[in-house]
Parts: sequence; C-alpha cells; structure tokens
Amino acid sequence: MMRFLPWAYLIAAFVFIYLPVGVLVLFSFQEGSLPVPPFNGPSLQWYQTILGDEDLMAALRNSILVAFGSSAVAVALGFLAAYGLARHVLPGSALIRGLLIAPLTVSYLIVGLGLLIVLTRSGFGVSLWTAAIGHVVINLPLAFAIIYASMGAQQQNAERAARDLGASEPKVIVLVTIPMLLPSIAAAFFLSVTLSWDEFIISFLLTRFDVTLPVEIWSLLRSGLSPQLNAIGSFVFLISVAVVLLLELTIFRKGRQ
Amino acid sequence: MQIGRKILGASALALMAGTAWAEGELNALVWCDHTDPELIAPFEAKHNVKVNLREYEGTGAALALLEQSRPGDWDVLVVDGIDVFRAVEAGVLAPLPEGAVSTADYFPEVVMAENNTVDGVTYAVTEKFGYNTISYNSAKVDPADMESLSTVWSEKYDGRISIYDYYLPVMGLAAIAEGIATDAIGAGDLAKIDGVLSTMRSRAASVAGVVAAQTALATGEVDIVVGGGEWLTAVLASEQPELTWTIPKEGAVRWAQSIGVVEGASNPDLAVEFIKYITSPEGQARLATSSCFWGMPANAKAGDVLTDVQKDILRWDQQPDYLALTQLYPAPDADLDIEMQDLWLETLQQ
Amino acid sequence: MSKDQVRGWGFVTPALLWTIAFFIVPFVVMGAMSLASLEGRTLVWDLSLANYAKLLEKKYLWRAILVSLEITLTVTVISVVLAYPLAWIIAFRVSPRWQRLALLLAILPFWTSYVVRSYAWLLVLAREGVVNETLMWIGAIAEPITLANTRFATVTGFVHFFVMLLTLTIYANLIQLSPNYRRAAMDLGANAFQTFRHVILPLTLPGIVTGAFLTFVLCIGDYVTPQILGGNTELTVPQVIMVQLGRRADFPLASALAIVLMSIVALAYLLSARWLRLDRL
Repeated sequence: MMRFLPWAYLIAAFVFIYLPVGVLVLFSFQEGSLPVPPFNGPSLQWYQTILGDEDLMAALRNSILVAFGSSAVAVALGFLAAYGLARHVLPGSALIRGLLIAPLTVSYLIVGLGLLIVLTRSGFGVSLWTAAIGHVVINLPLAFAIIYASMGAQQQNAERAARDLGASEPKVIVLVTIPMLLPSIAAAFFLSVTLSWDEFIISFLLTRFDVTLPVEIWSLLRSGLSPQLNAIGSFVFLISVAVVLLLELTIFRKGRQ
Repeated sequence: MQIGRKILGASALALMAGTAWAEGELNALVWCDHTDPELIAPFEAKHNVKVNLREYEGTGAALALLEQSRPGDWDVLVVDGIDVFRAVEAGVLAPLPEGAVSTADYFPEVVMAENNTVDGVTYAVTEKFGYNTISYNSAKVDPADMESLSTVWSEKYDGRISIYDYYLPVMGLAAIAEGIATDAIGAGDLAKIDGVLSTMRSRAASVAGVVAAQTALATGEVDIVVGGGEWLTAVLASEQPELTWTIPKEGAVRWAQSIGVVEGASNPDLAVEFIKYITSPEGQARLATSSCFWGMPANAKAGDVLTDVQKDILRWDQQPDYLALTQLYPAPDADLDIEMQDLWLETLQQ
Repeated sequence: MSKDQVRGWGFVTPALLWTIAFFIVPFVVMGAMSLASLEGRTLVWDLSLANYAKLLEKKYLWRAILVSLEITLTVTVISVVLAYPLAWIIAFRVSPRWQRLALLLAILPFWTSYVVRSYAWLLVLAREGVVNETLMWIGAIAEPITLANTRFATVTGFVHFFVMLLTLTIYANLIQLSPNYRRAAMDLGANAFQTFRHVILPLTLPGIVTGAFLTFVLCIGDYVTPQILGGNTELTVPQVIMVQLGRRADFPLASALAIVLMSIVALAYLLSARWLRLDRL
C-alpha cells in the first residue's frame, strides 16, 4: 500500500495542475459562443477569430518585443554588476548587492505604481517603453542573482590565466567569462523573458495605446465571456510549450552534459 | 530567423508609430465599445488616419489622466452623460462647434441638453444609452417576481443573485426601490440606500464584473443579476434564450454616454469629424451592436440601418415605455461621490 | 580609490543607476505621495498622516489588510504542504532518467498566460463545471455547490500557481542533498520519519523558506487572481489600490496602501531572514 501512495499523490497532483489547462484547451474548440458545458465541438472558429484580430496580433508583437528587449537589458546590466562585484573588491559591496536584489522583495504592483506616479507627475507619460523599463526593474535582480551565484573560482582561474597571457579585461570578459557563464546567462535570460512575457500589472499601469498581450487579454476578459479567451490562452500556451521543449531539447540538454 | 527578424522589425516600426506624433492620428479616451474594429476601421479608411484608443474605468480616473497629460495628448473623450459637467468644470472638454452635430433625429429623451450643455455652451453629445436593471434566467425564476424590485432580492432567491460591480447604477436601483429619485439622492439618503444594499448583498453570491456575471448566469451559478440589462444578456441570448431582462414596475436606471472634443486637442477638426461619424446613422448602428456591449443608439435614424433581428434584441419597439419608466444614473458631486464609493466598498467588504 | 575599485564601479554603476532611477526614486516619491491628500481632484502636499488614519478608520480598508494577510498565509502554508511531497516524490521516487521530464511536466502550465489561468479556474469551479460534475458523479454531493466567486476559488487559483513554483524550488533544494546524509541517519538507526524530521527538513529549510517568502510576496501583491476568482465577496489590498487608481485616481491613498503592503512584506522578510537565501536562488 505504502508503495503506491507516492504514485497516487503524483497522479493527483498532476490532475490538479492540469485541470484548468485541460478545461481551457478543450473549450477553445467549442462550437458556439459560450465556453461552458456541454461541449459541442470541435471547431476551429475561435482560433480563426483570434488570428484575424489585429489588436491581439499587435499585442502579441508588442509582448515579444518588450520581453526580449527588457530581458536583454536586464541580463546585460545584471551580468556587468555581477562581474564587477565578484571580481573587484568594492567598499560596501554587501549594501550594493542588497540594493540590486531589493526589487525582488517588492510586489509588482508597487513597482508599477511608483513608476506610474513619477511618469505622470513629471509629464513624461506612459508608453510601451515605460512598461519595458518596469520589466527591467523586476528582472534585473533575478538576472543579477542567477549570474552572480554562478561566478565561482573556476572561472576566475581561467580569467587570470587569460590575463597573464596578456588579454585585456574586455577581451577576457568576451572570450572567457561570458562563454564559461553561458548556461547561467541563458537561464537568466530565459527566466526574464518568461516573467516579462506573462507580466500583467506593470504593463497595465504603464502602457497607453500599444499594449502587451496580457493587457489585451484583460480587456477582452472585461468585455464578455467568449471561447475566444480560451483560444488565445491555449494558443499562447501551446507556443510557449513548444519553445520550452525546444530549449529543453537543445540548449539546456547540452548545458547538462 | 528571417521571420523572427521580420516580426521584430515590424514591431519596432509599430512601436515608433505608436510614440511618434503623426498628423493623421486621433487619440481617444473611450469605453470598450469603441474599440470594435467594425466601428473604427471605416472611419480610419475614409479619412486615412489612425485612431488610437485607450479604455478607462471611472470618470474620476479619466479626468485625472486628462489633467496630467500634455496638451494635445488627447482628442476625443467618451464620458458618462451625467458626468459631462464634471469634465467641463475640470476644463478638459472644448465646446462643440455650433451646428457641427445635429440631434434633430435623436430620441428626445436622450438628447439630454441639460447634461451636455453648461452655461448655454454645448460640450458633448449623447451617443448611446441603455439600462441597468434586472437580468435573469426565465427557466429558473418566476418572471412575475422580476417585475418588482421588492421580490427580486427577497428571501426566495437567497444565494441566487449576483450584483453588477458598479456603484452608481446599483445604488440608483437601491434608491428607486426606496422611492428616492436618482437625481435627488443626497448624503442624507445614504443610510436608507445602505439598508437596501445590505439586504441585496446578504442575498448575493457574488458582486461581479461583466464576464463574471455572464459566466455566473450562463453556468447556472446565479439566476439573477441586479444591475444587468441588454448589454449583459444580449450576447448570451442566441444560445440561451432563457436568459433575458426586464424593467420592474418601480423602474430602473438608465445609462447614457456622451462624446466630446478634448480641450487643446491637437486634431480638433478630425475629432469633430469622428463625432459626426459616431452620431451618424451608420456609426450609431455599429456602436449599438459593438462587440464589447450592445446598447440603444441615441440617433433614432440608426433604426434604418439596424436589422430587424438586431432591433429585436435591443427591444427597439419597447423603448418609449422603457424611457418613461427609467431614471438617469445618480449624478453625485465630488464629495457625495466619494461617500457613495466608500459605502459601496464597505458593502463589498461586509 | 584604487584602479581596481574604479573599474569595479564601472561595471556596477549601470545596474545601480537603473535601480536607483526606476526603483528607489519612484519608491521615495510614492512614500511622499502617501503623505499628500486629494481635495476634489487637486493634489495637496500637506504632509499629513491622514491617509494612514483612514486605514484605521474605514472598515473596508483595514479589513482589506486582514483579508490579504489571511489569504496569503493560507496560500503559503497549503502550497508548501502540497508542493513538498510532490518535489520529494520527483526527487527520490521517480527514476533519474525521468526526473527532468516529470519536473518539466509539473511546471509546464506555468506558461499559460496568467490572466487566462485564473479565468480557466472560473470555468473549472463553476456550478456546472468539471469539479461539481465529478463530485456529483462519484456521489460526494447531491447538489452542485458554490465554489467560484469565493475565497476558496481565490485560494485554489493561487495554490495552483505556487505549487508549481515551490515544487521547482524545493526540488532544486532536495536534489542538492547528498544521499549520504540519509544513509548516515539510517545507519545510525533513525527511521524514515526521524530521518526526515531531524536531517532532511533542517537541511532543506532554507529552500522552503525562500520559496515560501517568494510565495508570500507574489501572493500578497497580486491583483488578478482575487479580482477574477473572488467574486468581490471581499477585497484584498491590491484590489482596493486598483479601485483607488481606476475609479477616483486617489494616488495618495493608493500610495499609503502600497506602503502598508510593503511594510508587511518587510516584516515577513525580517521574520524569515535567518533562513532566506535570496541571492542564491
């Protein structure tokens, strides 16, 4: 009996985890306009609707742009800071580390609210750019922490060897440090993209006309019940899963071996 | 990779376009029914311009947003009919050029000159209206009970009710149930209204936004939505015809939205053109049947453009009765408004 | 300053400037804003604690703080209790060959859009939804019960998300444990429970606390889940903040609420600081 208990738990957990996804995907194929039982499908009509929805597709492009752009900045800044702190002795480095990590302990809503107040008070206004700035704020601490944690003595020795052979610091960074840290840099980038891609409240507060996908979905959600929501949710899920699996099979598998 | 680069390139262009100030752009602060491409695309095509739309929730937030924006940031504002005077007071609406928009073909009750005009100057024009009343599932409740507010939130339907999550119409309904006219609500009436709200709230399973209310009705979670109306049940009616709405004998609340040009608009002429389009029979018909929510067009001439089926759903022919039975949204001043909002939040948090 | 230090600052400065400009400064401005007040629609910088006084006076405000705390603590505890065994099973019962796949499967729904995920729970928990239909089918209930639009729904939506997150962090922690610890404890005569209680649990505590802290921070600041699933039967702090912003643009009161939210998180941080490893995620 005890032997089966863990497996029963595993199955129960997976049922719980996949319950909403299953219902979501099933009713995205609903025939008719209500995503509730009974199921009358399958039909692809709602996928056709979302693919033909220009606002949704524009939001999708905006989201890709913001996710990749903000992640690139966050990882670049995070890497430089991690390198500076790990390889140079700075006074008050514990304080600096704390400062860089600080946004991690604050709710996204507060980060967004603070920026919103500053941007409207200063007359700057909000746009897709300001949402991206907010995303860098929340992803920078993670990128920094991940990369900083992976900077060990092993890389330092290789860097020292390169420097002894006459390489300049930029050269050492580009040719030695970055290649050696690539797995953690990639992990930081990937995590940033995931979080930015799915982030709602900062984008909601800090965008104006051009919005990201979660914000567009939110306004759809406010405007009425429709299997269209199931379709866009399933669509995003399937794409994300495809990307995750692809990465798993290529980059991260290589990283492990 | 080629595709990826194209997507990135296109998005970068879109991003630039969004932030740059093009001559042919119109920036509008609207309700969600204006975001339907079926409504906007014909105007964009005809004038070869881009209409940028931003939705908002409450008048207070919209006014704050307009006040904090740079001059020229916004061209058009859609606002609650009863709040036009607040927008004028805040200095965010510009007078409509004389004779630019004609209300000759309007339903007389919704011209609402007293709301759209301040000191003899017209600042906005009504574009759409409808009712916050009782939506219900006719297969699960006794329709006769829905004809009186006193039986709607009675013991009989305990736990079968959802309340629409907007304080003005629901408090208006509560006032009507107590025999208080919506335009006469004062601070002294809040205690009575509070009593009704408490009863309503104690019978309710939820206080819901549009989707939550629709989901609750469609899945049998609740059978009645207080504050609902055609805008809530019209989209559900084709598949679940038992979901319907009525206006009880005490009456109900009427909403009306107005549209005007923002003070300091960078494109005032185009803004007026937009308002002309929205109030034309074609624009009115499209706005009435917008994907976000349906509602009656203010311009009766839209009746020539709407199909019979659409008019049926809107209950075109019953409008004279409905207009006579209903009262406008309560229009509190700023202080009363805050008190009403606080009361509403207290009710939710009960 | 040595040459080494100058270079070091060169590397650190961009990130530091970004954090100061877009996080610290807005935060300070928000703090100042919480001391202002709104008269009509005019902002008055009167440096008063009126907004904080309101938090104590108005029932819907202080109730929101309690509701948020209750929900967040419930979610954190349930999520840890559910995720730990799952991470354990994946780490120690599933064969190494399949572990990565099992873990990936356990967190895959993470990539459904988060707004849509809450909405999906609304459909699952509906009166005619899967859960009610199943319970009726197995005969556990005779009549459908109300699950959607309740605190139960909010907590369920949250737990779903955080079980995935915590499974990941706890698994990462468990897998780093050398099997020797368990073996040594067993050799010394400890039974399975004693081994867990005195060896594994203390060793994995930092991972648990770090995960629980993240859960706490993300949960208490979340607006979407309670807004979609809670049915407005009670309001959390983020919901009240969004009402202030969306309906009346009361930035001062919203700021005061945000500062309170911040302070609660800071308190949670101090309470768990002993075991927290935020810079070693």
